[in-house]
Amino acid sequence: MGKKFLRFEFLLLFAVFIIATCGLVYELVAGTLASYLLGDSVKQFSFIIGVYLFSMGIGSFFSKFFHKNLLNTFVEIEILVGLIGGLSSVVLFLLFESVEYFQFILYLLVFITGFLVGLEIPLLMNILKDKVEFRDLVSNVFTFDYIGALLASILFPLILVPKLGIMGTSLFFGMINVSIAIALCFLLKRELKNSYFLKVKAIFSFIILLSVFIFSDVILAYSEGKLYGENIIYTNSTPYQRIVLTHNKSDYRLYLNNNLQFSSADEYRYHEALVHPVMSIAKNVKHVLVLGGGDGLAVREILKYKDVEKITLVDLDQGMTKLFKTNKVLTDFNKESLNNKKVTVINTDAYIWAKSCKEKFDVAIIDFPDPSNYSLGKLYSLNFYQTIKTILQPDAAVVIQTTSPYFAPKSFWCINKTVMQVFPQVDAYHAYVPSFGEWGYTIAINGFGTTFNDVNRKAEGLKFYNYQFDRFNYFTNDMISNEIEINRLDNQILVRYFDEEWGKLQ
Amino acid sequence: MKNGENYSKSRRSFVKGIGASLLLIPFLQFCSDKIMHLLLRLSGTNHLLGHRLWIKDFPKPTSQIHIPYLIVGGGISGLSAARQFDKKGISNFLLIELEGHLGGNSSNGENKYSKYPLGAHYLPLPNFKDKELLQFLEEEKIILGYDTKGFPVFDELQLSFAPDERLFYKNNWQEGVVPKDGNSANQDLDFQRFFKLMDAFREGKGNDGKYLFDIPLHLSSEDTKIRNLDKMTMKEWFETNNFKAEPLFNYIDYCCKDDFGLGIEYVSAWAGIHYFAGRKQDASSDKKDSVLTWPEGNARLASHLKKYTHKKTLKNHLVYDVKVKNNKVVVQAFDDIKKVSVEIIANKVIMATPQFVNQYLIKERKEFTKEFHYTPWLLASLTVTDLADNFSFPLSWDNVIYDAKGLGYVYDQHQSLNQVQTKKVITYYHSFSSSDLKKSRKELYKKNKDYWKQFVFDDLKIAHPDIEDCTEEMEVFLLGHGMVSPAPGFIFGEAKRNASKSIENKIYFAHTDLSGISIFEEAFHHGINIVNQILDETALDS
Repeated sequence: MGKKFLRFEFLLLFAVFIIATCGLVYELVAGTLASYLLGDSVKQFSFIIGVYLFSMGIGSFFSKFFHKNLLNTFVEIEILVGLIGGLSSVVLFLLFESVEYFQFILYLLVFITGFLVGLEIPLLMNILKDKVEFRDLVSNVFTFDYIGALLASILFPLILVPKLGIMGTSLFFGMINVSIAIALCFLLKRELKNSYFLKVKAIFSFIILLSVFIFSDVILAYSEGKLYGENIIYTNSTPYQRIVLTHNKSDYRLYLNNNLQFSSADEYRYHEALVHPVMSIAKNVKHVLVLGGGDGLAVREILKYKDVEKITLVDLDQGMTKLFKTNKVLTDFNKESLNNKKVTVINTDAYIWAKSCKEKFDVAIIDFPDPSNYSLGKLYSLNFYQTIKTILQPDAAVVIQTTSPYFAPKSFWCINKTVMQVFPQVDAYHAYVPSFGEWGYTIAINGFGTTFNDVNRKAEGLKFYNYQFDRFNYFTNDMISNEIEINRLDNQILVRYFDEEWGKLQ
Repeated sequence: MKNGENYSKSRRSFVKGIGASLLLIPFLQFCSDKIMHLLLRLSGTNHLLGHRLWIKDFPKPTSQIHIPYLIVGGGISGLSAARQFDKKGISNFLLIELEGHLGGNSSNGENKYSKYPLGAHYLPLPNFKDKELLQFLEEEKIILGYDTKGFPVFDELQLSFAPDERLFYKNNWQEGVVPKDGNSANQDLDFQRFFKLMDAFREGKGNDGKYLFDIPLHLSSEDTKIRNLDKMTMKEWFETNNFKAEPLFNYIDYCCKDDFGLGIEYVSAWAGIHYFAGRKQDASSDKKDSVLTWPEGNARLASHLKKYTHKKTLKNHLVYDVKVKNNKVVVQAFDDIKKVSVEIIANKVIMATPQFVNQYLIKERKEFTKEFHYTPWLLASLTVTDLADNFSFPLSWDNVIYDAKGLGYVYDQHQSLNQVQTKKVITYYHSFSSSDLKKSRKELYKKNKDYWKQFVFDDLKIAHPDIEDCTEEMEVFLLGHGMVSPAPGFIFGEAKRNASKSIENKIYFAHTDLSGISIFEEAFHHGINIVNQILDETALDS
């Protein structure tokens, strides 16, 4: 009898330990997620902990209304905590989009978890009060409770999040929670009423958690992308793309559809290399065309030349250009370039626009996303460059962001070779951008009135580009690829190269 | 469709990469706006007017038109004849057409999102020695010039964009229309052997020095050994040659239906092989099996030809009687707009009309017309908010579903330069391949539009389970006599020869049904050849 009772007590205390660990894990998950999305981690953690402890208090208060079947209630709560706590992060992840009511759901989940955990400890004490001496009971329950809390707070940042991720962690602990309930169902089946029904419930909940856990990577990929580890300070889904801005220490990063667009720490390298060679080589720079580049960072560089009279920027996504005209953090980066009176922003499809454009430009800066699909591939086709040629002045200069010659040499030289079919002078160059790696550009001149080594004008105060073009157009053997086809609309060979090359890296 | 034998396995990794996103489907809401009401329309060729030829209850002609040359029928054959007249410096001709528009099977529809074909929708790259077709394509800036090796340079915007074909096979989209991923080794061997045989047929020449299979078809070899292929069905040929692979059988069946309306069980083996061997794929140095296509399909080509008939056309006119009288041809036609009849007196008439129509217009043609078979077709153009599938291969120009009833669908905006389409327009094709085409034709007109709507949805659901919820608009287009279909014995048969003979050097015949296969090239050459024949004979007369 004594031995059996010992097991009974030990089991329940172990359950306390697990509940405490899990409870704190859910709280930490909620706090982390809240600071991811809403920023200001001090405030978020503080509020979450406050609400959590408060709701535990409410739970404890309500525990006195439970009189019958305490053990059954205890197991049921155990299942419920596991299910709600475990799924909380999944729910929160999927609700990232709608920020206003995200907060409500967040605190509701924190409250429910806290409430349930708050119920459990008094409940347990009530179950054990007639079987153990009160003094021992209180000391044991709280000992286990606090050990669990310590364990959780150490494991969470050091092991759980790095290994399992936020969502995996909460689901994993949800499963632990529920498996304790399952274990209790089996081990205490004599003490429990209707243990069969409880078992079914517990196992069913476990299966739900397990299956979500298996899919958690996919959900994570969908909702969080590669942004893990950085604080998301802004998200917006436009009809064309998902814009995510993250902040980590002094570095802001912008992601479009989970692809890094720029890092504030080194974007000057990318944009100086994109803009200044072409601006210094072109015969004239009165009227500059920018295709893509809705972040206004290339425009910021162009505006450094006083003889620029007009800049036309064509970007498909109004959501993007609007954001970079109005968001304070972002206009600090582009120096309000899109609000400059020299700049005209046109939100339309660049290809269609170019087909019907009547103006002629002195410089064209083409900064489209990488050709990762057949739609984007059209913007790197022979016909596209032929179309661009029709809207350029003689001796106009063109630059095209051409992906990485190191990671994707075939893609890089495919674009270069395609451009060669259209323009009389074509060259390529590259620059090292730490957050991207080795990055490359194709540059062309629409005539013979100037050369790549000419410097017709300079801007002051550049951090990276030194107007020595011949220092940038040398390619080592590992960045060269031969036997490349020309990219046409009817073969879209570039998309295949790109997929083959970047596919290898994923 | 084109025969995509140059298939590689390089796309596997792409498929794998994208396959991951498949798991996402449950979490994404596709048809964002649930379609409350589907706008459904039923249309088709003007068969009601056409059927009045059975009783000929037309008023007596009240006016007369005199014209040296009359072309009856505004399909590609008739339009091509008009072009050829123009080229030969003849402008005193008239073209008369039953429908309210020209183009015949090369017609199109249009909604606010896209144009879409109501019939033929592509032209394979022409054979290099088909100089007349190359010249036409050059005139219309489809060929922009010739490269240093002498190959024509086709306009990039008019060649089908990549990716051009995909097949839904074994629950996955794969690149190309040849079933390949998941076949057994033996099945692969069958495919290889089949394509090797087709290569030999394509290159092969008969005792008379002519290609075994050529376009236009009348240039093909008369070699008896090859002609004997016309005596069996394609299925019999398949079995005789000891082919076993079911995917190959299905693939050939698809190809036959695509070009002839009739499937492998009913189509002549000669025609079936012609599909693979007639096109020499020698007009381009790299993309040999590419095609030219436009959102509106071959209506684009028809619109190029239409300019030769400017102010020389009578539309909505049903010709109901054609006969030779006093050394002239007297043609009677009913104006369906004014509801009056008109008599046209011409020196020469080109009947660019199908033989099933001609039998009601001209005496003593019913007997051999019986040998002409026409497959009914059903086309459906759908406007959809989304085309959700399992993302195993991206949406292509031609999207074929293995083992479906129809021939899959064409994505009509594929040739668009836009990055995104808010709504997508697709055109579904179905040919009624059967042993009793008359019965199929009756069924086509008897069943109501809701029946056909459901038929189309059910067929597309194999690959797009939620297509019904995503469809905003559907136009079902019925073609009772979609195209001539070469059953065994027809291509080298008597009926075709008899129907082609001109009458008293006055009434001439030009139509693809006189070739036995309904493709643009045949119609184009019929138009040219018939005008040349008329002018040669006229020159001899004088």
